[in-house]
Amino acid sequence: MRAYFKIEFLQFMSNKKNIAIYVILLFFSCYYALKTAPEYDPIEKVDEYEIEARYLTREEFLNNVVINNWTHPLTVFAATIYPQWNEYDKKRLDAIRQHNMKEYAESTSKWYSYADEMTLKNGYLYYNPRYYTYENTYATWDGHYAYLYSASRYEGYTEGESDLSINVFEERTALQTLQRLLHSYLPLILIVSCMFFTVDVVLKDRRNTTLLQGLPLSDWRKLLVKGGVSLLGSLLAIIPLSVGLFIIGARNGLGDFELPVPIYLASEKLFSNITIGQYVMQNLLFIVFWFLFFISLILLVSIVIKNEFANLLVGSVFVIAEFMYYARGIGAIRDVHWYPTSYIQTGQIIAGYRNFLYSTDALTFGTGLFVIGLCVCVFLFIMFLISRRRKFRLF
Amino acid sequence: MIELKNIGVQFSGRDILKDVSVMFHPGEIIGLVAPNGTGKSTLMNVIMNYINPNNGKVILNNTLEYTNKKNEVKIHQLVSMMPDQSDLYNQISGKEHLKIYSSMWSSNTKLIDYTIKELGMTSYINKPTGTYSLGMRQRLCFAMQIVSDTQVMLMDEVMNGLDPTHVELISQILVKKKSEGKTIIVASHLLENLEKYADRIFFMKNGELILINELSPGFEQREITTVRVIGMLNNIKENFTKVFPETNVKVLPNDITLIDVRGYDSRELGHIVEFLKENQLIEFSVGKVTLNDLYSMYYQEV
Repeated sequence: MRAYFKIEFLQFMSNKKNIAIYVILLFFSCYYALKTAPEYDPIEKVDEYEIEARYLTREEFLNNVVINNWTHPLTVFAATIYPQWNEYDKKRLDAIRQHNMKEYAESTSKWYSYADEMTLKNGYLYYNPRYYTYENTYATWDGHYAYLYSASRYEGYTEGESDLSINVFEERTALQTLQRLLHSYLPLILIVSCMFFTVDVVLKDRRNTTLLQGLPLSDWRKLLVKGGVSLLGSLLAIIPLSVGLFIIGARNGLGDFELPVPIYLASEKLFSNITIGQYVMQNLLFIVFWFLFFISLILLVSIVIKNEFANLLVGSVFVIAEFMYYARGIGAIRDVHWYPTSYIQTGQIIAGYRNFLYSTDALTFGTGLFVIGLCVCVFLFIMFLISRRRKFRLF
Repeated sequence: MIELKNIGVQFSGRDILKDVSVMFHPGEIIGLVAPNGTGKSTLMNVIMNYINPNNGKVILNNTLEYTNKKNEVKIHQLVSMMPDQSDLYNQISGKEHLKIYSSMWSSNTKLIDYTIKELGMTSYINKPTGTYSLGMRQRLCFAMQIVSDTQVMLMDEVMNGLDPTHVELISQILVKKKSEGKTIIVASHLLENLEKYADRIFFMKNGELILINELSPGFEQREITTVRVIGMLNNIKENFTKVFPETNVKVLPNDITLIDVRGYDSRELGHIVEFLKENQLIEFSVGKVTLNDLYSMYYQEV
């Protein structure tokens, strides 16, 4: 089997299509690191002037406001909530001017908790205006999520031992960028790459039939080796992608594996932190499961339909399937947690964001691994049965 | 030992192999001769189980049959087929190909260097096969099968694209492998060459395997059976049949006349030679019918 693995791996690495995928990933990675990442503009950023402007405006209001029986209720309300709010802003302002990052983190955490409590409870206040985008009817909830997320994150900075900086606060370091990417399209990019790597892993042998047909190895084992090579090749896609990460690391710092990542606990409607190290490892495990899902699926389609286009088509259906049924809050009325495709955005599943969007608490890391693992077992079992048929031909 | 039992293969209602039953023994080189498209490759594909026969079975060493995938792997440990040169991986070297085949069959790794040397491939074996000429690729394919070192070796057109020196070299290696007890089945169009080293030669026609000894009794024996005459005109032939009415004469499509002299003594042979000389026919030989003659007789009948 080792020798066959060697043949397959040599072919995999010399396959022009696969080389092209690695080159494209390298290009995207560098482009992202040099062009997109520097332009990252977080909503929740460290903006001394914004804090100062808000603080001074409110301070002036508090210094001049006259509260009596004829004062408008909203003015009374503002005069009630601003002193505490401004205290946090003052502490933030002082901390940032003194470069006391720990203090900034602590007061910012409290600021976000307080701001969220005040904003959500009362219909008169708003979250950061950038959440109120066109046609976003869930803007308040998005703001609520983001404020609690930030509160938890800053609390994590306070409790942790990591070196803090503005780049860390704005999640610009290499590891935090990785975390943000895992939360968005990186899992999809890796899964699609895996799909393209696997699409011809069986059918390419039609070009070398006489060389491979008589090898003393069962078709089932050949399929397992091919799957193994695809898995390894897909994992190797991390190498070109990590080039971009090193570029970001050189510019903004690498970050720290101990930095906090807030996880939304849907059942309790609150956040708790895990480390980036844990978050990345869980994502990696999740993505490996997804690789296994797509590899076993495409191997199965390869031996049943024997057409590369069909492989691509079936694989693509699974990649985009979630977009077909996804609707915000639909998890409350539909068991989306039994659909493997609901777990495709691995970072968002681990972070609990998918639960927040679906309004459910069932989309968890554990359930995801179970559902995807079960599908892999089913695909492999069917493949095993087919490959054991006496008249079966691999290609 | 490999046995084919009542093998029948039909494609689109046409019989490609018809009830073929034959046994190939260890230490034997079998020659398969037939025009293209008459079923040589199909027969080999059936032996390898690349094609499932409509009926019949292949039995290896009296026990193993292609009844399940497990047995197929076991049989492929012992039976191999030479790869086609167009199927080589152009990006990797010849030596890598040999190493892969050697490790797939867990054969003696020393065989790799030995075969490279024996086939004179040392100067190019480390280069990617995409840079090889047809002959070099063909030699590599042959070498791959040699390093797999299986008990039964099937070779389809092994001498294709080879110069006479390498044809001779490969023939010698085949004879050596035969002496090691291998069963070698060769399909070839180089009839003179095949005739030299094959122990049994089969023709294929209408889906049947015909041992050439059945077509020409005594073909494999070392005795004078035929006078081969080139360019015998019809009038001379008519004259010949008048002078030697008891003698069988056959004209082949390739302008060769075969005079059957089985059982003739020296005096009778002398008369025939004298007749030929008197008629200015100087291009003739006394010996036995060649494989080329039989092929011509069998496949090019007019």
